[in-house]
Amino acid sequence: MSDQEPVLKGVNAIKGGPRALRLYMDMCAKCGTCAEVCTVYYGKKDPKYNPAHRSDLIRSLYKRHNTLAGKIFGGLAGAKDFDQAEFEEWQDIFYSCTTCRRCAQFCPVGIDNSVITRKGRTILDGLGRTPARLQKVVKTALDTHNTDGASPDAFNAAIAFIEEEMREEHGVDIKIPVDVVGAEYFYLPPSGDALVNIEATMGVAKVFHVLGMGDKWTMSSKCFDGANYGLFTGNDAHMKATNKACVDEAKRLGVKVLLMGECGHAHRVMKRMMESSKWWGDLPFQVINCMEWTAEQIRAGKLQFDKSKNPESVTYHDPCNFAKSCNIIEAPRVILRAACTKVREMTPHGAENWCCGGGGGLAAMNEILEFRMTVSGVKKHEQIKATGAEYVATACANCKRQLAQLMEHHKEDIAVGGVHDMLSRAILVDGKAANRKCYE
Amino acid sequence: MGNSAFLVGGVLPYLAAVVFVVGVVYRLLTWRRVPQPASMTLYPTQGASWGALVKEALFFPSLFRGDKTLWIFAWSFHVALALAFIGHLRVATGVIDRGLAAVGLGAAGMAMLSAVAGGFAGVVLIATVLLLLGRRMLVARVREISKTPDFLALLLLVAVITTGDLMRFGASHVDLAATRAWAASLLTLSPAVSLPPTFLLHLFFAQLLVLYIAFSKLMHFGGFFFTFSLIKGSQP
Repeated sequence: MSDQEPVLKGVNAIKGGPRALRLYMDMCAKCGTCAEVCTVYYGKKDPKYNPAHRSDLIRSLYKRHNTLAGKIFGGLAGAKDFDQAEFEEWQDIFYSCTTCRRCAQFCPVGIDNSVITRKGRTILDGLGRTPARLQKVVKTALDTHNTDGASPDAFNAAIAFIEEEMREEHGVDIKIPVDVVGAEYFYLPPSGDALVNIEATMGVAKVFHVLGMGDKWTMSSKCFDGANYGLFTGNDAHMKATNKACVDEAKRLGVKVLLMGECGHAHRVMKRMMESSKWWGDLPFQVINCMEWTAEQIRAGKLQFDKSKNPESVTYHDPCNFAKSCNIIEAPRVILRAACTKVREMTPHGAENWCCGGGGGLAAMNEILEFRMTVSGVKKHEQIKATGAEYVATACANCKRQLAQLMEHHKEDIAVGGVHDMLSRAILVDGKAANRKCYE
Repeated sequence: MGNSAFLVGGVLPYLAAVVFVVGVVYRLLTWRRVPQPASMTLYPTQGASWGALVKEALFFPSLFRGDKTLWIFAWSFHVALALAFIGHLRVATGVIDRGLAAVGLGAAGMAMLSAVAGGFAGVVLIATVLLLLGRRMLVARVREISKTPDFLALLLLVAVITTGDLMRFGASHVDLAATRAWAASLLTLSPAVSLPPTFLLHLFFAQLLVLYIAFSKLMHFGGFFFTFSLIKGSQP
């Protein structure tokens, strides 16, 4: 069976926009700079990992049917007819781009290949060709409002456990308010930070406690996951439905601030897409990230730390969605420098840092583990090793998964964790840092 | 004059001019008209300032950070192209000469300047285009994404520059009075074509290139301003 008709329908729609995509169809100079700076191509010099080659899958079809030159001269104008055999490779190729946007930072004509990748994924999704694992994550999120499929009861149990742990660490009650209507702050982490890697949530709870704001914030037992896989599968309807549930919950709780957790793509969708494009009109609350918020408290001198609790050397991996798309670069460093003895930087770092190799939803795909370890993760492994750090902090559940697997694959004795995790271990509560157990 | 000479020097210029202007304006207006619902700011950003855009257009800083070798080729090529463009204005009109005379440059000085700047541009253009072509054939990451139009654009440039350099460095140096008379005849819509064969050949290839621009990736000279506004612009 040929998928020609629906594929071409999706490609031809580019004629009507968005403007960026239309421009990208018209003006790639084929200079190869994107490949030079691409995390994936760095790992393996295979044409199918070359960003311009990937983008040309769509570009050549677009030219064939939507440009005068392509209609008349075909191949001479860089146009190509639909080829089912080639389309069979689309899933593999469009899911080997991490959509990190690094190519766009160096492209001399300003092309952001991640936009073309997402278009390719949108077409694949329309044909049911999104990788099975990601389809499952999206379905779970739509059904249960979290990517782990956890029930409110499971969430409440996890929160009770976290509170118990904090009581043991500090000998005082540090509360995590749940479902409090009328709170000022609604903390929305990736679900993993509430259910599995609990130290980030502990860190946020301790900050509120120390500030005497333990009763000013809340989490939600029905909405505790900011993750939004519709961004990755290219399905706008799913992305908006997932997002709307979170926004509606923030409105129901009547909060003034939606405090996004350590999850790059969740923050980007909420701040740079939903809020700036006014998906749901004007909002009764602000969107800020917990790292920006905590950094502000540190700068104001309101939090104290015992750095000796974090003696290991720490480096920070910039999640692409935070650094490249949201400009949240300094805040995590403020927190780490306050809470850790030794902080080292990768080369390069900040907005031009390299991707972990698991961006764009790839980290969730077990079926491409080999690719993530031996191709897309090669550069990040080299970068981390060069710092000599013993702990890699990062602020993204997907980056964490990719980095932890990468360290294990290369048998590196380097721990991977969050930013508020390090804060949680060193912050002074009633003058004392945590008497910490090992959570690894 | 021969029919083919008249076609190249008396007909094609009008066709090329119309196709270029209509084509480029159409492309630019289309890009402007197509909606961009989402903002896509990419950091680090200098904001949507004209200064940042002009700096990017003049010095290619993004490419400089990404690939220094290509930056040397591409930037030298574009600078020489701009020099050549100014030089060609002088070939076709007296505007540049009058300007130079106003700042006190005599005929000998102008000829010297033309020889130095024009000669420099002519050498740099052919060298950089051949380097870009070589790069496209030899560097794997560029070769594997190169298709017919990518070579076509470069080969057209090689033809234009080679024929141009033949006049600059070869025996049949261009006769300014004759070319200006021809250009003036075009402007008065009464084309009189009395030009040497090398010039006609150069003109022919140059016009093919001009005709080609609006239909090709060479439109990056206009699209560039849109794409950079999109990723370097500030939040709406």
